[in-house]
Amino acid sequence: MRAVTAELAKLATLPSVWLATLLALVVPTGIALLNRGVPGPDRGYQELAFGVMGVIVLGVVAVSSEYLAEGADAGGGRQLTTSLTAVPSRLRFLAAKALAVVLVAVPLAFAATAVTMAVVQVRLDLGRLAGVVCYWTYTALLAFAITVLLRHGIVPLTVLLVNTSVVSVTYLLTKVTPLANYFPDMAGVRMFVGKVATDVVITPLVGLLVMSAWVAGLLAVAGAVFVRRDA
Amino acid sequence: MRSRRPAGWLGGVITIDGLVKRRGGKEILAGIGFEARPGRVTGFLGPNGAGKSSTLRILLGLDRAQAGTALVDGVPYPALPDPVRTVGAVLDGSGAHRSRTGRAHLRWVARSAGLPPSRVEEVLALVGLADAARKRVGGYSLGMGRRLALATALLGDPAVLILDEPLNGLDPEGIRFVRTFLRDRARSGRTVLLSSHLMGELAETVDDVVVIDHGRIVATGTLAEVTGAHRNLEDAFFALTSGGGR
Repeated sequence: MRAVTAELAKLATLPSVWLATLLALVVPTGIALLNRGVPGPDRGYQELAFGVMGVIVLGVVAVSSEYLAEGADAGGGRQLTTSLTAVPSRLRFLAAKALAVVLVAVPLAFAATAVTMAVVQVRLDLGRLAGVVCYWTYTALLAFAITVLLRHGIVPLTVLLVNTSVVSVTYLLTKVTPLANYFPDMAGVRMFVGKVATDVVITPLVGLLVMSAWVAGLLAVAGAVFVRRDA
Repeated sequence: MRSRRPAGWLGGVITIDGLVKRRGGKEILAGIGFEARPGRVTGFLGPNGAGKSSTLRILLGLDRAQAGTALVDGVPYPALPDPVRTVGAVLDGSGAHRSRTGRAHLRWVARSAGLPPSRVEEVLALVGLADAARKRVGGYSLGMGRRLALATALLGDPAVLILDEPLNGLDPEGIRFVRTFLRDRARSGRTVLLSSHLMGELAETVDDVVVIDHGRIVATGTLAEVTGAHRNLEDAFFALTSGGGR
């Protein structure tokens, strides 16, 4: 429990986490405002699917802040050494950090859904709300796990943000192979977005299971690597 | 196991035995062993790249050894029930994220160990950082960063202090502060293990000396024993290590 409160304190005092919070609230509502007047069954939910940037930043910086090296003239230290001397069990440390990310991502997803739905003035469907919260939390954890593996924030941040905003590489890949529909983001959005521009039909439940498998798998690999390698 | 401990015994015996570390096919530690005892400042000396940092990182559970043990009171660091209250470590730089304030950094460490926020203010005052507590670590000088690292290590008032090159980058005032401070810690019955490649700076501070070179221990003993017939510790060091007679 102490390790979790310590991780929450870390997140609360990191300026990039406040930026992540801002992005999480502004991006989906901003897109919703731009799309005003465009009707459709996925009104609001489509915006929330694109709006995961905030939780991507959250998941990445929670980990990359540990690996960020101080400048050589500042001694070249990293926060990770402090973290692991305070909480020497690698698994406990990583689990506490992941839990802290979830504890921030879940209320963020609720808040973002509330303001987005208020903007588009669509009555909220509880099942789809659960899908949004799940998708956002899972996306944060995917970013988290990938950053643990890479030990650096720039690459996962760039790739994941570009994929959700500028060019959806995973979506383009669905034009090449139907298997690409089972990428975590492509499958995960089916939890709350009905119409996706591909021919492969994935039910919300299958979407949940596919994305759950990705998250569990990547977290397991990240944990196994993190426990074994030198800090 | 010690069955009877003297009153006020704080513990804090560091025992390193047969440590082997290879990285990328290169042997960094070739089965080293030594002991650091309570009430004494043990200087772990060697040229850059001799294996000092690797040894301390293995001792703290940050790096893994291929063989051997590094124990605090008979227990590997990761298995200590309350590590922050048992061992304080000062490694590279400040060990803090640059966009957090010094106080915010100490607070999360205190939280992780269940220590009260008042302890944060105490260690800030102790190392002379109270006035800079609200500044972001990125704006700290090297010396201030080192003081923050020392404050972090002292949060749990541990029986053992482990410091990797604590004098690096410090101004004369900072060096004097650290030296006096470490002597006081040892006088109060605590264990101090510090690594350094600066011999001249250390002779006045250490009681026991362990000299490492190319991943091997080349001398251990009290300061007088290791200095031996040499003029001073520095001469002894160069005679023992690759800096000298090899």
